[in-house]
Order: sequence, then structure tokens, then C-alpha cells
Amino acid sequence: MNVLLSSLFHVLIFPGLLFCVVMGVLLSGLDRIWVARMQRRVGPPLLQSWYDFLKCCGKETIVPRHAKKAVYFAAPVVGFAALISISLFLPIAGGKPAYSGTADLVVILYLLTLVSVCTIVGASASGSPFAGVGLSREMVAMISYELPFVLVILAVSRAILAPGDSLNNIFSLQAIADYQAANGPLITRWALIPAAIAMLFVIPCEVGMHPFDVAEAETEICEGTLAEYSGPPLAVFRLTHMVKMFIMTALFCVLFLGGITTGIAVLDVILFVLFCLILTFLTMSLPHGACARFKVEQVFKFYWTVVAGLAALSLILVWLGL
Amino acid sequence: MNTFLNNFPILAIMILFVGAFVTSLVGRRSALARNGVVLVSMTAALAMMLALVKPVLLDGQIITYWLGNWEPVEGWAFGICLEVDALSLFFGLIVTVAVFVSGVYSFTYMNHDDSLVNYYTLFLMLSGSVLGLVLSGDLFNIFVMVEIMTFTAVALTAFRNTYEGALEGALKYLVVGSLGSTSLLVGIAMLYSQLHTLNLAQISALIPGQGANPVIIAAFAFLFMGFATKAFLFPFQPLAADAHAVAPASISLMISGVLTKCGVYGIIRLCYVLYENLNQPLVQYLVTGFGAVSMFICVTMAFNQHNFKRLLAFHSISQVGYVITAVGLGSALGVSAGLYHAMNHTIFKGLLFLTAGAVQHQTGSLDLDSLGGLSKRMPRTTLLFLIGAASISGLPPFNGFASKWMIYQAAFQRGAATGNFFFLFVCIVALITSVLTLASFIKVAQSVFFGQLPEQYKEVKEVPLAMRIPMWILAVLCIVTGLFPTQVQNYLLLPATSAAFNAANYIDQAMGLGYAAAHGIATGGVAGLMVSDCWNPTSWLMLLFCITCAVAIVALLASPNDLKDAHISSCDEQAEVLDAKYESFFSGEESVYSQVGGSDLFWGFKHNWRKYFSYMHDWHSGIVNDYTLYGVVAIAFVLLACIILL
Repeated sequence: MNVLLSSLFHVLIFPGLLFCVVMGVLLSGLDRIWVARMQRRVGPPLLQSWYDFLKCCGKETIVPRHAKKAVYFAAPVVGFAALISISLFLPIAGGKPAYSGTADLVVILYLLTLVSVCTIVGASASGSPFAGVGLSREMVAMISYELPFVLVILAVSRAILAPGDSLNNIFSLQAIADYQAANGPLITRWALIPAAIAMLFVIPCEVGMHPFDVAEAETEICEGTLAEYSGPPLAVFRLTHMVKMFIMTALFCVLFLGGITTGIAVLDVILFVLFCLILTFLTMSLPHGACARFKVEQVFKFYWTVVAGLAALSLILVWLGL
Repeated sequence: MNTFLNNFPILAIMILFVGAFVTSLVGRRSALARNGVVLVSMTAALAMMLALVKPVLLDGQIITYWLGNWEPVEGWAFGICLEVDALSLFFGLIVTVAVFVSGVYSFTYMNHDDSLVNYYTLFLMLSGSVLGLVLSGDLFNIFVMVEIMTFTAVALTAFRNTYEGALEGALKYLVVGSLGSTSLLVGIAMLYSQLHTLNLAQISALIPGQGANPVIIAAFAFLFMGFATKAFLFPFQPLAADAHAVAPASISLMISGVLTKCGVYGIIRLCYVLYENLNQPLVQYLVTGFGAVSMFICVTMAFNQHNFKRLLAFHSISQVGYVITAVGLGSALGVSAGLYHAMNHTIFKGLLFLTAGAVQHQTGSLDLDSLGGLSKRMPRTTLLFLIGAASISGLPPFNGFASKWMIYQAAFQRGAATGNFFFLFVCIVALITSVLTLASFIKVAQSVFFGQLPEQYKEVKEVPLAMRIPMWILAVLCIVTGLFPTQVQNYLLLPATSAAFNAANYIDQAMGLGYAAAHGIATGGVAGLMVSDCWNPTSWLMLLFCITCAVAIVALLASPNDLKDAHISSCDEQAEVLDAKYESFFSGEESVYSQVGGSDLFWGFKHNWRKYFSYMHDWHSGIVNDYTLYGVVAIAFVLLACIILL
């Protein structure tokens, strides 16, 4: 009974559904305010994203004639659920992850893929030509950030292996958290700094934030993948987008900023949230305010040369034992 | 040992061959008798393989059967022998299941064709030869089976000889396939000249005594390339594409799910049992390198395809590349990962080929640029396709994820243990190949099943139930083997992996106890063969729980809309008669067909890689002379590398 209750708590409250949604709304609201300030606007209230979500939920759902209904409705829900389940693997704020598997970094990598795939399949099922262009761009963006992301994961996994370690527990987030608790955050290791920078670039593209939001370009392709969505399914997609901001920043914290602790659990969580806020500002608000949108082939080129280069540099350094 | 069970391997092979001849005798009179004979022989072979599961896989016995009771005399094996260890049975199971599914599917799928007696005769001969190959205990019978397999496969490829390119594809397969068979034969002849025996167990025992005999090493190179041809590894992948594109879908399933597995089986048998040389770095580089190159080149080639089945064919080789890569790592985890992926590949690729066949059966087309929107007309096929596509792209919780997950770990572990950059690079290639695989299946989903429905396919119907049942068998297998990887590992992979690492036992069971020890083969196998933990689907129970929660929330939020929703969908049916200004995408303009064609879908990616793609385009010239040349060069390369460096 206790096990059931505690897993219920993990799934629904912390770090599952409720915590993720609250964090997602918070980060997205702050991001909107910060971008507004950079553009000399006042900006919306902090909870504006939540209001948008509620408003969408109250709207009519229009299913386009070309759509495949079952897939059209299932895609946002499955994507959202998969995204929330990622939070269960993350050792948030130095605590234990709610669910610890073997090689969970690979699982997270694929769950993030699953989230994007749900967006793509939903768009595809809506039958719209705009969504068709959008999903093509989303997929190319995905190929773009996947390479540096993979390299970063490999670099971090290698960095925590000491000679003579058992090799049965690789790609494990728990092992990464334990290593950082013992040896300090990985970002302090100079060989991993290029990988951390690469990861900072991966975050906005994975989330689909402004300079890299080729798939949802409102002005060119009418929000691309979301073109045909309305009402509650659209609301779920919007919520997925917000929660993704939190999951990606949290993943960065777990990979590079672990092991910073005050000893009090609540303070640790607040510290963790603070890191997420700073990362949101650095990786999402700042580029959003400063840059115009890239073209899709530019995104691809940038990620496979500059960002992947940084990550590969780290990987080589780490592999050489530095 | 149960002597009755001892006869099952030979009976399973015999019944398929006998079925082939009986089919051709009775099949001309009655279609029912023909199908009955085919069904009975397939089912009997499958049942016999299943009956062997308990003694061989669970109890770890090895069943040897000497034809005509010609047992070895004074340590020399002259008779023909079948030797079934866990590795053979693992592949035997894959083969018989695939044959069963493909056969059942054919009953309805082939009903537009004539001269079906020939089809089923060849089909059963193909099945029997493949089963004979994996169960065989001597090298020459392997060659004979490879020959039967290649020729029946060539004939079946060209079965629909009215199709454009059918004869051409078959001819290419024939010519370059013969190159592979010849290479096998040369390797066997070399071994025979040195060791004077053809029995696998005895060869395996005698090879270490030969030291660095260059003829033995050259034989290894020839045998390896022979099996690589059968698995269509790089540089033989264009053949597979040409053959698959024109073969009937049930035969595509056989070629990709079964024939390539024979190559994989051959390479495992060769490297782990026969030569036991996968502890040498060069062999590891060779096998893993071939796997990784095939994996990457084929997945990029799939990007450019316009034909559904050609695309699947390239993916097939790409996935076999994963298998070979994992097998070449030389670690227990690598072998189990490879075997797991080999099994999964047969399942999901079979499923995908069958859905392609369903599309072709109902629409008559496989062209990605002209199809579209079939999810409206064929919803069940769409669901099956999505299951297959999710499996091959490695999305959790399907089986492709579980095995790829093991492959990444195996490659990374190998790299970290040796500090060698090569294995790390292979790991990166494997991870990137996975996302590229996903991309091209998104392309298929978008251009065949979703998007706009072209005018000429408005009346397409769903495939009949008789064709959906085999697809559902494979789809359920996709899900089951994905959800219970621990069980798969314990009951299937670990026995097969231990068999691969225990050459001494293989030798002793055939040649008499103590034979291996007398020839200096370390007995006892590898101790502590525990591979690492499995991907644990418990998390998936949590995920499913999350999904239900999310669904509940959405349902609650959306409930006030239910009425409107129902209203809209009822409007939906009448929408065809409405004015064009209600067309959703064109702001009042009349609707035109405006879907992005399948081959143009990932422009942003292809633009950046245009030089690579144009080079690969020229390389796959479609001229059989070129392909033969690539094959010869590859054989020469492997031969030189082995002789100089081993």
C-alpha cells in the first residue's frame, strides 16, 4: 500500500505531473516577461501561459476533414504523458530519482524523441499541407540536435568512469548524481565545459524556442505542426511545450550542476528551481530577444558543425582521460 | 536423452522439402489441397522447433543427429551431421516463425497471381534450405543449403516477372549472389585441403593446432565474405534493394527476415565457434566495421527512396548492420544484444513488409510520391504500420528499443574497457542511425498513410482479415518481446549466447567427450556470462499510469465540447458537398492537391548533404558489373587484411 501511495505521489505530485506543470508554467511565464523587458514591453502577467491553457481548453475542438481522428487526439496525450514520465527518472535536487532504471540516459533520450514523434505524428494525422512542412522541419531540427546531444551524453557517461570501475552501470543518471555528490559538479571539470556549452545550445532547439523554432514558424507556415489543432488538444500541446522547458533545464542541472547541496531538502529544491530559472534566461529568453529565426538548413549546419564540434571536443578530451 | 526428440531436426527439414514436392504433385488439381499441404508442413516444422525449446534452450542440451547413423570413427567425422545447440535453435525458431507468418499471408496476398504451385514449391524449398542451413553440423551442407536458398530466392524474386525490373533485380541477385556462394565454396575447399574434414565441430577442434597457417586464414576471409553476401552487408546492399522492390511482400519478408539471418548466423558460427577468433582486435574491427558502415550508408540511402519497399530494403540492411556491429564487439553483452536485435529485426521488418504488401495489394502502387492519406481507408493497416515503425525506430516500449538499448551499452562498454576510439565511434554511429531511421519512417507515415488522399485512391478498401492475422501475430510479438526483455534474455538470449561462447561443448557433443580437451580447446565455456541488467518495463507501468491520468484530465477538460465535437464529425460526412470556401487550408481558394512529396520531405537535411547524396547516387549505378566489382574488391580487401595482419 505504501509503495503504491508513494509511487502515486511521485507520478502525480513530485516530481511528476503537478510539479512539472507548475514549473513549466512558471518558466514559460518568466520567459515571456523577460523577452518583453528586452523588447521594452511590460509583458504579460506571470500566469499568462496558464490562462492561455485554460482558455484553449474551453474552446471548441475542430477536427479537419482530412484528419485521422484517433491519431489526431491520441498524439498530444501520449506525448505529454511520455514527457511527464521523464521527470520520474531525474534525480532532482540531489534526491533519488522516483524511478531508477539501468542506462536511463538512453531511455530519456528516446522518451524525448517520443515526445517529438508525437508532435510529428499528430501534425501528420491532421492532413494539412502546412503541418506537412512543419513536421518535415521538426524532424530535421531533431536530427540536428540529436548528434550533439548524443555526444554530450557519451562524454558525461565517460567522464564519471574511473579506471577499474565496473562497466555494468553505464549511462546511469543515478551514477552521475552520485559521482557529482562525491566530486563536485561536473561543470567544474574543464574538459567538460565545451560539452556543457553544447548542451546549452541543445536545450532551445529541443524545446523549440525562438531562434530555432523552425517547425512552428508562425509567420511562414502558420505554426506548422500545430496549424490544424484547436481546443483541448492544442492546450495539451502548449502545456507539453512549457513542461519541456522545465525538463530540459532540469536535465542540464542533473548532468552538470549536481552535487551542489545545502543539506536541507527544501532549500535544495529551491536552489534547483533557481538554476532552472537562470538556464531558462540564458538559453531561451536571451537568444529569443536577441536573434531572428534561423532557416532550417542553417539550423542543421550550425548544430552538426559548431555545436557537435564542441561536444566532440569534450568527448575526445574525456576519452583521453583529462 | 529422448531419442524421439533427436529426430526432430531432420524431420523438420525433411517435412518442408517433402511438402515442396507434394505441393507440386497435388497442387495442380486443387488449390485447397495445395494450401493444406503448405500449411501442414509449415506448422509441423514450427511445432518441432517449439518442441526442441525445452531440452535445448532451457536444459542446455545439444542434439546431434548423424544421418544413416554414420557416427565419427576414431575421431574422424565422415557422415553428414545435424547439430542443434541453443544458437542454432534460436535461429531455427526465428526461421520457422517467419516462414509460418509469410506462408499464411501468402494464401490471400498471392490470390491475384497465377501459377501458384510454382510459388509454393519454391517457397517451401526456400524454407527447408534455410532451416537446414541453421541446423546443419557440417560445412558442405551449409554450402548446399546456401545454394538452394539463393536459387529459390532468385526465382521467387522474379516470380512476378511482369513487373518492371523484376527480371533485372533477380539477375543482379543471381550474379552477385553467386559471387558470395563461390567465395563460400573456395573457403570450404581451402579448409578441407588443410584439415581433411568438413564437420564443423571437428574443424573447430583442429584449427587451433594449425597455428598461423595462411590458408586457414584466407579461408576465414572467404567464408566471412560469403556469409556477408548472404546478409547483404556493405558493399552488397544494392542487390537487396533491387530484389526487395520487385519481390512479392511475403518473399521480401523471407529475404529480409530469414535469408539475412542466415548470413548473421553464419558469421556468428564462423567467428565464435569455428575460429574462436573474436578476441583478436583485427577481427573485431573487421566485423564491427562492416556492420557500422552498412548501418550508416543504408540508412542514408533510404532517405532518397521513392519506392516503399526499396526504402524498407535499405532499412533492412541497416538493421542487420546493427546486428553485425553488436556481434563483432566480441563481448557477451554484444552477442546477446545482436541476437536480440536479429530476432526483433525479423519481427518488425516482417511486419513492415507485410503492411507494404497490404498497401500494394489494395492500391497497386508502392510509390511514396503518389500515395497518401490511406489511414482513412485502411485504418487497421495504419495502426499495424505505426507499431512496426515505432519498433524499428526504437521507440519505447517496443522491442526495437530494448535491443538497441543493449547495443549502445555493449558498444560503449567495449569502448570504455579498451579505451579504443573505434568502438565509441561505432556507438555514435548507432545512435545517429537510429534517429535517421525514425526520420525515414516519418516520411513513409506522412506520404503513405497520412496527409491528403489522392483522387484515385478514394475507393480503396481495408485488406481482408486473412491478411491482417499474420500482421497481428508479428505486431503482438513486437509488443511482447519489447515488454518482457528480462524473460527474453533469460530464456532465449542467454542460452544462445552461452552456446556461442562454448565451442568446446559443441565439439564434444559431436565428436565424443574429451575430444575438445585433447585438441587444446578450453572447456567449460565462459564463466559468469551474466550480461547486465535488462531495460526494465516497470517504468512503463508508471508511464501507462501517467497516460491514463493525462487522458482523464483531457477528457474532463474536453467534456463540455463533446456535443460540438459530435456535431462537427457528423458535418464531416456531408462536407464534400459544401462550397470550396470551407476548405480548411486555402482561405477560400479551391482545394488543390498540395502535399509535399515523400522524397522532398527532409529538404533541410538533404540540402546540406547533397554532395554525399550525389556521390552515393552515382555509386549505386544499377549496373550489375559495378556491383560485382565492388564485391570482388571487398573480398580482396578482406583477404589482404586478414593475411597481412592476422
